[in-house]
Amino acid sequence: MNGAQFLVKALEKEGVDIIFGYPGGAIMPVYDALLDSSIRHVLVRHEQAAALAADGYARATGKVGVCMATSGPGATNLVTGIANSFMDSIPVVVITGQVPTHLLGTDAFQEVDIFGITLPVVKHSFLAAQGDDLGTIVHQAFHIARSGRPGPVLIDLPKDIANTVGDFRFADASGSDDLGEPPQDAVDRAIEMMRESRQPVIYAGGGIGMAQAIDEFRDFVSGTRIPVVATLKGLGALPTGHELFLGMMGMHGNKAANIAVQSCDLLICTGARFDDRATGKLSGFAPHARVIHIDADPSEIGKLRQAEAGVTGDMRRALKQLTIPLNEIQEWREECAANKASHAWTYPPDSPEVSATWFLSELSRQANENTIIASDVGQHQMWVAQHCSFSTPRNHLSSGGLGTMGFGLPAAIGAQMGRPDATVVNVTGDGSIMMNLQELATLKRYDLPIKILLFDNHMLGMVRQWQELFHNRRYSEVDLSDNPDFAAVARAMGIPAIRVEESSEVQPAIDRILSEPGNLLVHVIIHSEANVWPIVGPGKSNSEMMEERRR
Amino acid sequence: MSATTYQIRLKHSEGSLVRLLGLARRRRFDVTHLIAHPSPDGDFLDVQMTVESERSESVLARQIENLLDVTHVSIAGDGALHFLG
Repeated sequence: MNGAQFLVKALEKEGVDIIFGYPGGAIMPVYDALLDSSIRHVLVRHEQAAALAADGYARATGKVGVCMATSGPGATNLVTGIANSFMDSIPVVVITGQVPTHLLGTDAFQEVDIFGITLPVVKHSFLAAQGDDLGTIVHQAFHIARSGRPGPVLIDLPKDIANTVGDFRFADASGSDDLGEPPQDAVDRAIEMMRESRQPVIYAGGGIGMAQAIDEFRDFVSGTRIPVVATLKGLGALPTGHELFLGMMGMHGNKAANIAVQSCDLLICTGARFDDRATGKLSGFAPHARVIHIDADPSEIGKLRQAEAGVTGDMRRALKQLTIPLNEIQEWREECAANKASHAWTYPPDSPEVSATWFLSELSRQANENTIIASDVGQHQMWVAQHCSFSTPRNHLSSGGLGTMGFGLPAAIGAQMGRPDATVVNVTGDGSIMMNLQELATLKRYDLPIKILLFDNHMLGMVRQWQELFHNRRYSEVDLSDNPDFAAVARAMGIPAIRVEESSEVQPAIDRILSEPGNLLVHVIIHSEANVWPIVGPGKSNSEMMEERRR
Repeated sequence: MSATTYQIRLKHSEGSLVRLLGLARRRRFDVTHLIAHPSPDGDFLDVQMTVESERSESVLARQIENLLDVTHVSIAGDGALHFLG
């Protein structure tokens, strides 16, 4: 057995069933070994899509995603996807081919220091320069990727190691995923703060889903009956329709959610990291609140906001211990509920023009619970977060930390591969879709029944919105009026497509999205000046939300 | 801007020292002094690193602790060592 064959066996042993990748010179031994493997390889049309598909697979399934590419440009094309996974703490193992060890450091053909290039955006990385280490490296890579705060792990495999025949050994199963008991003093302090509070709010982040703590979190909310706001990645931790859920907080958050955070006397940050898109101006964020911070990663405690109680360790155990009845906050609950009712989303009155927010709200209302929305990045991403309902974070795939335009389509591919029974909808824009448009060929190749809902305002909409609001309407390089006919492009790549220009065409389009067995691209024309409301301006506090301006 | 000196033990593995230095730079800590030498068995690097920053010394200490090659971090201050791990 050579190193490549052993690598593939080791991947099988780790339970890998799908790899997203693209072959090339230095990785050829591994592709040769794949021919004799049970692992399914998904050939994308650009390496960035391999990394993003592995990311989407991991988000939708909770398993470790795997992607692979050759050395040099194959490896560098993965970098955006790796960074995307790093920023959102997604467990992915990345395998790159590398030039033979004797050529390392010689500027050999397609040699690039991918180990060095990716150091800032991986949880850990390995250069498999000794064949003897390969079994241990693969096992450790998967353990590291999924344990604690998850993240991407790189394995760079020189071609001579892949080709060397040797007596390779699998690593013994080792390494516990148990994060241990939360520190008792911190738990006691947190309980004391909860009992003293009269206006508490739970600030729910993506870490809840990653810690597999959804059930414990919902019990915590039911037991304490504290109102909840969520970050972009925390959506679905509590079902959107839950009576205590006030909505997404932050720059494009629901007003009721931001009011609650700005008024609360206790903020229970659970699996979140005080990201600037969530907090706005940090010094003005939750100005009256003491903070309990519950997180698997101790380095997040106090990183941006001092916590009076930092509860690390196993989040599930922490939440169980913190689930206590709070009898003194009924008035506060009622105040939050009243704000929620008075700031509920409204939709434009009947008009021939298509409203993207109404479209998304109706699509979400009519979809079944096993529907995944893989969003791209831009205005439509925020509309999805605001107007769609989620019963689990695994149904809402969104590039939160890196904000990667082009994420949506490959993420949808990964999600559909991982959950073939789910309805997968990629909500995208005319800017984002062009970033990984080539993946329509992957949809066709594997006959994936993904629906693409493309909102086309002939603009880079979010940038245009900022130029309108914060740059005195000085529009710079946002005009996309020369967009191609996306429906025609889709058809040329073998994907059926329809065009929606009027509101009367929305319901028939939703019907097709939710019932058509195969793939479909729905090209929706919306107003070029549609904006995302509300918005907190750059450098402003969440107390200073700008409301919709009617034109 | 204050100076802080960390005592760090790293596994002597591929890129471990570069990873540490990159982390400090990325988190806006300016490395002003660095001494590294291998442990007697060669398996570890013992590093003394001084940084200057306006950010909290404990923030970087926790970030360093998160590096998987790091087996020990302490902050030298006022002649005392504070063990974090």
